[in-house]
Amino acid sequence: MEEIEKIREIERTEAEKLKERTRLKREKEKVDEFEKFTVECPECGSHTLVRDYERAELVCSDCGLVIDENFIDQGPEWRAFDHDQRMKRSRVGAPMTYTIHDKGLSTMIDWRNRDSYGKTISSKNRAQLYRLRKWQRRIRVSNATERNLAFALSELDRMASALGLSRNVRETAAVVYRKAVDKNLIRGRSIEGVAAAALYAACRQCNVPRTLDEIAEVSRVSRKEIGRTYRFVSRELALKLMPTSPIDYIPRFCSGLNLKGEVQAKGIEILRQAAEKELTSGRGPTGVAAAAIYIASILCGDRRTQREVADVAGVTEVTIRNRYKELAEELDIEIIL
Amino acid sequence: MESTINIENVVASTKLAEEFDLHKIEAELEGAEYNKEKFPGLVYRVKSPRAAFLIFTSGKVVCTGAKNVDDVRTVITNMAQTLKSIGFENIDLEPEIHVQNIVASADLKTDLNLNAIALGLGLENIEYEPEQFPGLVYRIKQPKVVVLIFSSGKLVVTGGKSPEECEEGVRIVREQLENMGLL
Repeated sequence: MEEIEKIREIERTEAEKLKERTRLKREKEKVDEFEKFTVECPECGSHTLVRDYERAELVCSDCGLVIDENFIDQGPEWRAFDHDQRMKRSRVGAPMTYTIHDKGLSTMIDWRNRDSYGKTISSKNRAQLYRLRKWQRRIRVSNATERNLAFALSELDRMASALGLSRNVRETAAVVYRKAVDKNLIRGRSIEGVAAAALYAACRQCNVPRTLDEIAEVSRVSRKEIGRTYRFVSRELALKLMPTSPIDYIPRFCSGLNLKGEVQAKGIEILRQAAEKELTSGRGPTGVAAAAIYIASILCGDRRTQREVADVAGVTEVTIRNRYKELAEELDIEIIL
Repeated sequence: MESTINIENVVASTKLAEEFDLHKIEAELEGAEYNKEKFPGLVYRVKSPRAAFLIFTSGKVVCTGAKNVDDVRTVITNMAQTLKSIGFENIDLEPEIHVQNIVASADLKTDLNLNAIALGLGLENIEYEPEQFPGLVYRIKQPKVVVLIFSSGKLVVTGGKSPEECEEGVRIVREQLENMGLL
């Protein structure tokens, strides 16, 4: 009896899924036509279109053509005058995020045993509710793929927290990891390795690069392994990432050394000159950045020793010595010791 | 025509017999290294011209370290003679030699800006990670070679099956860099 029900349930969901798929395809076609004219003006071809919410019009700001009018406002139908009211009236929950394996879309039954009117639930139904809650929690992770994905995303979260990365870097890393899973690149590699590589790629993509050493510190895998995995993943996913610029490291290293803003600005200036004279080719960007900071700190009077700068940058003192001599020579900077 | 490259290493494979008794070779041949657990082949180094041989039980032999294709031929023929003199009868004295890989170096004689080259040649065919390796890795599809470009202007071409392929690789790189005005 139960099995027949289950089969019927499965058939129903399959039919629904098929309908959903065809519906989405048709909508996409409609939207594609629409897209063409919500993105550019049909008369002058300009892309600067302005939505006027007072008159509900979509206007081209170059030729003044009204492209669409009476468009539908997609906001809520209520107004709220303070935070509590807004929370009470709002019907939506947390935004969708790629950093959770079910994209933040699953729900759970609240622990408070009250129904929607506020009345406590009878003890008979309380046991049923308890079982429903247990099953709802278990269904969230349905198969091995999801379990691995959940593990990988929690690993990403842990590493990102250890490095103090912002929300958008985490989302980017989660998206990169999901793409890697889709292309079946995890096969034969450790999950932590690919997660670390995805995080490294995300940091670079968001212009807040973290050195391989820094990521290796918070990850279970070695720096060499992360580098290898990163090269493989970025090749397979065609992530076009520019080599890291030393300028991106300056703010972080400077604040790590408690240097004034003046030193930071001077460091960036030195690096810009160095880039113009093509002195940074083939040199590790952290080394060059460290040397630039060392020179800037001397020039601005707020000296730091080579050892301090080396520690913050994750390079050796010898590297700083070699790089700063090159920079000072080419850029004609006098180092007063 | 002046050759722009210097060949540094040639790797070739050939078949000298139907099978080999590696223990016998190890016993008879002086300087042969054979650690069965570490590597299934026997390693034998030759002094002039300098080369190394990997000899396997299947009778197949791999020769590395030679500086040009002619040397490979000489060295393999010598090896065949040596093996025959030890006491192996069915040695092929004129075996068919397949060159598997040629590594060559070249010099463009000018400093290069690798960042600009990475952008110019297209990030799809390029691997440039200054944090990990100072050279830029450029994979060419036709001929199928890999060129390592360094900021000093020196190049390393590898993966070619003939010296011509390596020269072609260098020529392509030079041409593309000239087109981009980076040379």
